[in-house]
This record gives sequence, C-alpha cells and structure tokens, in this order.
Amino acid sequence: MSDRQAVRRSRSEIGVRVVWFLCALFAVITIFFIFAFLFYDAYPIFEEIGVWNFLSGSVWNPTGFPPAYGIYSLIVATLLATFLAMAIAIPLGIGSAIYIAELAPYRVKAWVKPAVELLAGIPSVVFGFFGLVVLTTWIRVSFDVPTGETWLAGSILLAIMALPTIISVAEDAISSAPREYKEGSLALGATHWQTISRVLTPAALSGITAAIILGIGRAAGETMAVLMVTGNAPVIPDPIWDVLSPIRTLTGTLGIEMGEVPVGSTHYHALFGVAVVLLVITLIINFSATIILNRIKRQQAPPASTGIPRRFPLTGWMERQGIFFRAHRTPILWGLMAVVLFAFFGLTGLGIALVLYLAVRYIPGRISPRWAQRIAFSLAALCIVVVLLALGIILYDILTKGLPYISWEFLTEPPSNLGRSGGILPAIVGTMYLVMGSIAIALPIGIGAAIYLTEYTSEGRLVGIIRTATDLLNGTPSIVFGLFGFAFLVIYLSFGVSLIAGQITLALMVLPTIIRTTEEALKTVPVPVREGSLALGASKWQTIRRVVLPPSVPGILTGTILSIGRVAGETAPILFTAVVFSTRFLPSSLFEPVMALPYHLYILATNVPNATGQQYATAVVLLGIVIAFYAIAIVIRHRSSVKYRW
Amino acid sequence: MSETTIITTENLNLWYGENNAVVDVSMQIPDRRVTALIGPSGCGKSTLIRCFNRMNDLVSSCRISGRIEFHGNNIYAKDADPVEIRRKIGMVFQKPNPFPKSVYENVAYGPRIHGIKDKKRLDEIVERSLRSAALWDEVRGRMDESALGLSGGQQQRLCIARTLAVEPEVILMDEPCSALDPIATAKIEKLIDSLKQQYTVIIVTHNMQQAARVSDKTGFMYLGKLIEFGPTSQIFEHPQEDLTENYITGRFG
Repeated sequence: MSDRQAVRRSRSEIGVRVVWFLCALFAVITIFFIFAFLFYDAYPIFEEIGVWNFLSGSVWNPTGFPPAYGIYSLIVATLLATFLAMAIAIPLGIGSAIYIAELAPYRVKAWVKPAVELLAGIPSVVFGFFGLVVLTTWIRVSFDVPTGETWLAGSILLAIMALPTIISVAEDAISSAPREYKEGSLALGATHWQTISRVLTPAALSGITAAIILGIGRAAGETMAVLMVTGNAPVIPDPIWDVLSPIRTLTGTLGIEMGEVPVGSTHYHALFGVAVVLLVITLIINFSATIILNRIKRQQAPPASTGIPRRFPLTGWMERQGIFFRAHRTPILWGLMAVVLFAFFGLTGLGIALVLYLAVRYIPGRISPRWAQRIAFSLAALCIVVVLLALGIILYDILTKGLPYISWEFLTEPPSNLGRSGGILPAIVGTMYLVMGSIAIALPIGIGAAIYLTEYTSEGRLVGIIRTATDLLNGTPSIVFGLFGFAFLVIYLSFGVSLIAGQITLALMVLPTIIRTTEEALKTVPVPVREGSLALGASKWQTIRRVVLPPSVPGILTGTILSIGRVAGETAPILFTAVVFSTRFLPSSLFEPVMALPYHLYILATNVPNATGQQYATAVVLLGIVIAFYAIAIVIRHRSSVKYRW
Repeated sequence: MSETTIITTENLNLWYGENNAVVDVSMQIPDRRVTALIGPSGCGKSTLIRCFNRMNDLVSSCRISGRIEFHGNNIYAKDADPVEIRRKIGMVFQKPNPFPKSVYENVAYGPRIHGIKDKKRLDEIVERSLRSAALWDEVRGRMDESALGLSGGQQQRLCIARTLAVEPEVILMDEPCSALDPIATAKIEKLIDSLKQQYTVIIVTHNMQQAARVSDKTGFMYLGKLIEFGPTSQIFEHPQEDLTENYITGRFG
C-alpha cells in the first residue's frame, strides 16, 4: 500500500470515528435537553407550593376551589401498579424464558419465539382497549364489584405488556450462556434442571436482571393502557392491598390532563412537576439496576486488573454493605419478603412467609433431583401456556369482533360523524409517516452511537457519561417524551402540533432501544474474530464493516423491530405533539398535524359511544400494520441467524 | 498385573445426519489404566469418547447403533439414565470450562448437586479434590475469587478437580492439553499418571508423544474406524497395521 493510500485511509478512519462519536454524544445532549425543559417548566410549582407539600399532599384536585396539588396518592398508585404487575410478570416471564431457551423442541421454539415478539408489538392502546371492553367487564362480574376499572385490571395489563420484554431479554441471556458451561455441568452428572438452575441461570443473571428492570421500566412508565382501565380516581387503596380499588398513576394524570391545561398556568407547571417526579422514580429504578448489574458483572468477570471497568465508582461504604449483604443474603431476603408480605396482608402475610420459608428450606431435600426436574419443567411449560393463552385471547377477541367491519371503504376513506362512519385512511397514512420519519432519524444515530460505544472506546469517563445518558433515556417513560416534545418542539421551537414534532419525539423515544440492542449484537461477535481481521492488516472501520457488522444484523434488526412496534403503537408521545382526532385530509407538509391509528382508537374507545365496530376494526388495522412489520423483520432475522453461529 | 475391563464397545456406529463419524468400533477399555486415542483431526476420536458418557445426546442430529457397556450394562439402553452415567463417567473438555463462580463453588458444585449440604464435608471434598488435582497449593488463598481469573493451566486442573469431586470411576479427557503451554501440559500429564491409581482415564490427544508418555493402551483411529488397539509400547514400537505405522512415523496426519 502506498503512503498516499495510507494517509487517505487514516483520514477516513478518523472521519468515521468522529461521526460515530457525534451520534453517541447526541444521546447525552437529548437527555440534558429533556431534563432542562422539564425542570424549567416544573420549577414554578415547586416554588409556589414547595417540594414537600407537592410530594406529600394527599389531595390532587387542580381544578377545584381552591386547587390542590398533592401527588402522594399518585406516587403510591404508580408503585402499587408496578409492584403487582411485576409479581405476576416476573415468574411467568422467567419460566417462559427458561422454557424457550432450554426446553422447547426446535419446532415449538420456532413459532413460540415470534409469538412472544408479537405480543411485544401489540400497541399499548390496543391492550387498553381490550382491557376496557373485556378485562374490566370480567373483573366487575367475577368479583362482583361496581366497576372493573381497578388497580388489578391495570396491573394485569401491565404484566402482559412487560412480559415480552422480560421473556425476550431473559431468553437471550440464558441462550447465550456458553455451551461449555452446560457441557461441564452435565458431565458432572447434574440433571438438566440442576444445570439450568445452578449454572445457566446464574451465568445469565445479569441479563435476567436487565430483563426485569426493563420490564419494570416499561410498567412504571406506561400510560395509555393504565389510563384506560384503572378508573383514575386519585385515591390510595384502603386497605392498601385492595386490588379492586381504582387508582390513578402519575402517567395517567399526565395523559388525561395535559391536553386540556392552559400553557403557563399553575396546573400546567404542576403537571411538569408530576413528570419530574415520574422521571426521578424511573431514574432511581434505572440507577439501582445499573449498580446491581455492574456488581454482578464484576463478580463474574476476572479480577479488575484484567480490565472490566466499573460504570459507577462505588464508595467504600456501599462496598462494605455489599459484602455484608452477600454474607447474609438469605436471611436478609427472607426478612424483606416477610416485611413486604406483612405490609400487604398483615398477620396472614407473616403466615404465608413462614410456610414458604419452611417449604423452601425442607422440601427440596426430600424431592429427588429427577422429580424436582419434572416439577420445574412442568411449571416452566405452564408459564409459557399462560402467556400464549393471554396472547390468544386478546387476538381472538379483537379479530373476531373487528374483521367483519373491515371493508375497502373503511381502509380508503376519511372518517365522518366523529369516526362512527367512514374510514380511517388518514390515520393509517399518518401512522406510516410517523414510523418512517422516526426510524429514519433514530436508526442511523442509534447504530452509530452503539458502534462508538462498543468498538471505539475503552470505558473512559466520557463513555461512562454517554452510556449513563443512554440508560437514563431508556428508562424515561414515553409520556415524558411527549411532554418534552410539547414543551421543546411544539412551544419553544414553535413547530406547533405537527408531523415533524411527532417524528422527532418518537425517534428520541426509540433511540435507546436501538443503541442497546445494537450494542448487545456487536458484543456477541467474539474478540478473536476482530483480532483475526486486524491481524490481516484491515483497518478498524474495515473490520467493523466487514467482520463485525454483518453477523450483528440479526440483533440490530431485533432492536429495529421492537422500535417500529413501539413507534407504530405509541400514543403517549404523540398525544400533545402530533395528532388530531378527525381530519378529512392528509398532511401536505411536515408542519401539519396528522391522524394516527393508536390515537384514533384511544379517542374512539374512550370518547365516542356507539362505535364498537369502528373501534374493533381500527384495532385490527393497527394490529395488522404492526404484525406486517414484525413478520417481515422476523423472516429476515431468521435467515441471517441461521448463517452465523460462533 | 491382570486387567479387568470397565467399558466395552461392540460394533459402535455413530452418524451426524448422513455422516458416519464412528464406524464399527469394538474395543475393551481396561479398568484403572490410561487409555489414549490418537489419530488425525476429524478421525472421530473425540466423537467416540463423547459417546462414553452420552454427551452426544446434546446433538440433535446424532444417531447411534451398537452397544457400549459400562460394567456390563448397556449405557444406551432405554432405561439407562444419562445423568447417572455422567456421574460415574466424568469428562474434562478441550477448552477449560470453569463455571463463572468462585474456585470453591466450582469444585463444590458437583457434590452439592448430588445432595451434600454439610459445609464441613464440602470443605473436605474441595480440599481433597484440589490436592488430587495438584492445584491446592496454588489456590488455597483464593478460594473465593472467580475461577475465570486463573491461568489456563490452572483452570484445566480446576476442571479436573471439579470432576474428581464427584468421585467418578472413569474420567474422559478430550484433548485436555491442546489449549495449554508445555509447562502446564507437563503438570497435567503428571497428574494423569497419579490418577490411574484410582481412576480409569481415557484421553484423546493428537499429540503422539503425549499418548506415548501417559498411556498404558493406545487406540489409533482413522476415518471413524479403530484401526489398531493395543498396549502403548506395541502401538508405537511394533504396530501391526501399515496405516498405524505410517501415522506414527509421520508419513501422514
């Protein structure tokens, strides 16, 4: 190679590097902007009534005389809804993940995995719609309560919505535990279940933890489904474990009131205050998750001298607590569980804790490994059956009631009479525009940032900041993006409620998903493969482009699939930034508002009586679009995943 | 010294899909001896020893005919329990594969899954196993550190210790030194020699000198067939088959 070529190559190497760096920086800038605008708009409320009064006040009545801005009950409701949802989703999710990763015969796995991904694609507003017309009715009848719009309904929906995330991520983690571990364990005479429970699951623990955290994030930040089924009464359940009480979450409050509040009023600032609190809660969840993850990583990884860095420097105090916790792990966990159960169920809870403890302490020793395996495998199979049943019921209900109303006219005409007749063409087109625009923005930036983070960096301080920012962005609830989009794009930049504002807001929302999944995909390419390429004289970027990226395509596609599903189905971020309910026209420029399917369904379901057929039909079309995207991507991914096995 | 047989194979055939990877192998493995399997890459020697503890069960396209008897019982019989078989016939792999746990937990893993909970007994077993694997002195102060921080040779001896902790009768070793340096290799070879007091060792290697150094009996495999099987000295000094002689003298392979 001549000198000139070498110079040109090194220049382009630097150029490429800078581009990726800028992509990564973008995440930081975004998170900064989101914080800045939320705090800026929330500050007046904290000044006016005080942080403590705002947090601890038990009455939320911003339109009363005098108005009351206390969000204590909203915070409690958010925590309760998330807690119950996780109590349902975590066991089901991990059981299903184990089933898919280790037990499912090849053919079963081949259709169960896409089915679970499909569940992830069902838009939250469709869940909300299903919850509103089917689940709440079921709860009202079977528990004989005046209304089915309850905490229980919300948590069941949240659980179903968090499940695909938990299952997919946990399944990936278990499947990617090295095959050598499995062989090593089996060669010692361990049963398959012993191997799963004692080697594979611990080896996959960081991934499973990540799965759970992502699930929690999804549940705590979900707006639409919760808003549609929880009744939205700002009360604290009494007694606290009364799952049949209505509740109103932080997200629900934002979703309901943001659209009707005068910009700049005390109420307006109070809503931004709610968003800040919501953000802080999700940040706490994320930070604790990241710390847990890093601790696990350090335990498993070789000693620090060989280089696995820590993302957050832990103080000596936390270090000591960690050692104390590890040494007394079992009693601490049991104690915690007893306290939680006591808080919820009183003395009965203590009894339950005692029985569980005795069962766990004394039964396993009496069951032969073979029986333990049988029981465990049956439970895992049961988990996946429950999950698929949930999917089946939802799809069956919506398809059987919606398909009869689908007609050529419905798909190709604009709505009339508030959506009771006519069609939904503008909504279909609007959703397509939103998806294409936001993915076109988020995909290049996301992939670039991921490449920079995994390939070019050696974990310096800057990378730590970028990665933390991405993590934070990832945990940010979609409604918060909606508020940010409203405050920054719609008001500050004077875009108005417009297509472009919606696209940018949605792009910001899916950016962390794309970054994260791309990073994961890149990391699965073994280091020796990179070294092999570098040793042949290939440059860094050549190596990335020709050796690292191609096998990562399936992983990147998975991330893109999830993102498209979210964008097409999300309502909360576009609620105040991009949509109108009923228009006869398609947008002629990026600065006009659009109709969108999820929003159309939301309004039809909650505000337009006597439109059942239109509601179901809209749900079918929305589902159909998401499923179409999914099907294409799943096929592509399957093809390439056969090609690459390390 | 009289020899008793611990494992017998009769007309063993194995297919990966259409590929007949092990062809009509019949052999008798002596108890408490070191048996080596040599042959060029891809000759089926690793596949063959993975049959002895049914590790090939993990490969879905794999099909087997013929018999393998362990103490006279067919390990591929319908009612044979692969878990029980692997408990008695342990395996050490080509690449050291310690679990991502501490040194102690790696060794204690086997005894624990087989129902030993008493901390004191576990401590004893761990120490004894590590001593037998000639690793104790090197790791006694780092029992709680991650096993992944050990050197490659230490990791492989840890895997051997982990296998010993289950007290198997047979230890299968699939090219246990191929990822190690000469010093680590010498340590493992010395270890193998001491193991045969108590255990039957079957080792796959493509290093002929290693086979000559450590084994009592040697089998030479080529294209899935067991060409010749006999006392190591005979295989290396007076091979009966031309193929064996050609391989030993370095004319191919």
